[in-house]
Amino acid sequence: MAFLEINNVSKYFGKTTAVKDFDLKVEKGELVSFLGPSGCGKTTTLRMVAGFEVPSEGQIIIDGKDMTFTPPNQRPVGMVFQAYALFPNMTVAGNIGFGLKIAKKPKEEIEQRVKEMLELIHMPGFENRYPHQLSGGQQQRVALARALAMHPEVLLLDEPLSALDAKIRVSLRAEIRAIQQELGITTIYVTHDQEEALSISDRVVVMNNARIEQVGTPFQIYNFPQTEFVAQFVGTLNAVLAEIVDVKDGLLRFDGQQVHTADKLEGYRNGDRIMVAIRPERLSFAHEGRKANILTGTIKNITFLGSIVRIQVKLGESVFYMDTFNNPYLTLPNIGDPTEITCSKEAVLVLQQQPA
Amino acid sequence: MKRVNLFAWIIFILGIIYFFLPLFSTFEFSLRMKKGVYSFEAYRVAFQDPKFYYNFGYSVLWAVLTILFSLILVVPTAYWVHWRLPKARPIVEFITLMPFVTPAVVLTFGLIRLYGSPPLVLTSTPIPLIAGYIVLSLPYMFRSVDAGLRAIDIRTLTEAALSLGAGWGTIITQVIFPNIRVAILSGVFLTFAIVMGEFVFASLLSWPAFATYLEEIGSMRAYTPQALSLMSFFITWSMMMLIQWLGRGAGRAEEIAVGH
Repeated sequence: MAFLEINNVSKYFGKTTAVKDFDLKVEKGELVSFLGPSGCGKTTTLRMVAGFEVPSEGQIIIDGKDMTFTPPNQRPVGMVFQAYALFPNMTVAGNIGFGLKIAKKPKEEIEQRVKEMLELIHMPGFENRYPHQLSGGQQQRVALARALAMHPEVLLLDEPLSALDAKIRVSLRAEIRAIQQELGITTIYVTHDQEEALSISDRVVVMNNARIEQVGTPFQIYNFPQTEFVAQFVGTLNAVLAEIVDVKDGLLRFDGQQVHTADKLEGYRNGDRIMVAIRPERLSFAHEGRKANILTGTIKNITFLGSIVRIQVKLGESVFYMDTFNNPYLTLPNIGDPTEITCSKEAVLVLQQQPA
Repeated sequence: MKRVNLFAWIIFILGIIYFFLPLFSTFEFSLRMKKGVYSFEAYRVAFQDPKFYYNFGYSVLWAVLTILFSLILVVPTAYWVHWRLPKARPIVEFITLMPFVTPAVVLTFGLIRLYGSPPLVLTSTPIPLIAGYIVLSLPYMFRSVDAGLRAIDIRTLTEAALSLGAGWGTIITQVIFPNIRVAILSGVFLTFAIVMGEFVFASLLSWPAFATYLEEIGSMRAYTPQALSLMSFFITWSMMMLIQWLGRGAGRAEEIAVGH
């Protein structure tokens, strides 16, 4: 039995469906991210696990106990909020020790735990500071320590890094992951930032329109998106509607180009139109080494993005992105030059879609 | 530029004269009790009157009771409106404005009718008086508390406290109250000032109060009422200054330090 089970949970607000048939099992010590655009239902699902919302349908089970209707203050969960939510009237020590004080732990134990937590978040000596005397990153670390001080069975993080600047976000997410792994705490992490979700999660749940689109490891989600939404939402993608020329051979046609896919085209017939996708980094110039598929077009634009160079290639009516690693000796074509780009059969992904 | 400044100064000085001249005149008059010399005789007489302490004491008692029950009524209500019923806010705001549109006399007779009819006859108790004062102070108390609640993220703080195992009592007393302390104190001081100067309720409901005492001696003596009027002003101003002082403290506390 999984440690945290969210069994077919739905949530309705009047006529609005916020979450529909959400079904997920999370193992002990696992970090699972809920990834999706605003309004997709990820935070509502998290709030149902926390107990702030009651599911309209389904069950929430933590460590074998049905917690569906348990009030939030009686659940073994700790939560970190986007807006830090530190109590402004209390010091750092007061904030971290708040839950322990509520639980009527002895004073010595509270002091000891506060000290341990401050060491865990690399902020020893900050006991007597007030939240307004801390930076955003420090406040969020204190919020994390406060949630962990109670030794919760499940840690819930609701977009904890959204209010921070880019550099601190990157360092703090690594810190959160390290602490989570050190404590082995089961964690749900809500974010709309794909890079954040991919970099720290054991598994990612991609959500859209109140439903789960795909559940998988970051590797699976990025490399083998099962739906058009996942493919479009996670990373940059060249997606195009193609016609099936030969189902058996995996031959497809779009904009006068012909490509082969390694994906099976079961259930489709010749002449059906399907959505296919190719990641920009799976494309390269044909003169650097020809692969199974060759696409001909003209260079539309070239953009430097630091470590990579993004080249736009016009293929008939479509424009494809191609990423290549930057290096000082890179020879790039000129805008308007005719070009051939190439990719393997495996790079051409068929996205889940009903046959037309 | 200089002309504008001069004009502003003239307006300011005229305003000061308009406001302070009557007060100064009252003060000057209150010092004339002894013929031919200025003295604080009127104040000495006022302070020697046991009725002054009796009525003033009652007014303080009414103010304290009003503040206590206002807080019990307003803080949880305003908190709940912010936390769970934001759509009800216009209705609550409208209700709190009632004292501005309902004359105190009408309100008093309404209270007498309500509390003077069976099954619950309470007109012999100060309950109708306190109830009236609570209604009277509602716009000030509610708005002060409401402003305080708007300034903090009630929802997230409540949820954070809940997730740490806190119950409602703890949330109200340890999380909400301390964080809107300044706003609550503003409401408290305003209520105190209003109740200390209120006349209609106490007079019509026949309870001792500072304002009714002032009116009573005003009809009998010449100088002492002037002294007492100034004292009444002094109490109100003290309350306003306290609010200002506390408000400045809160502003400083909200400064956010960054860096490290």
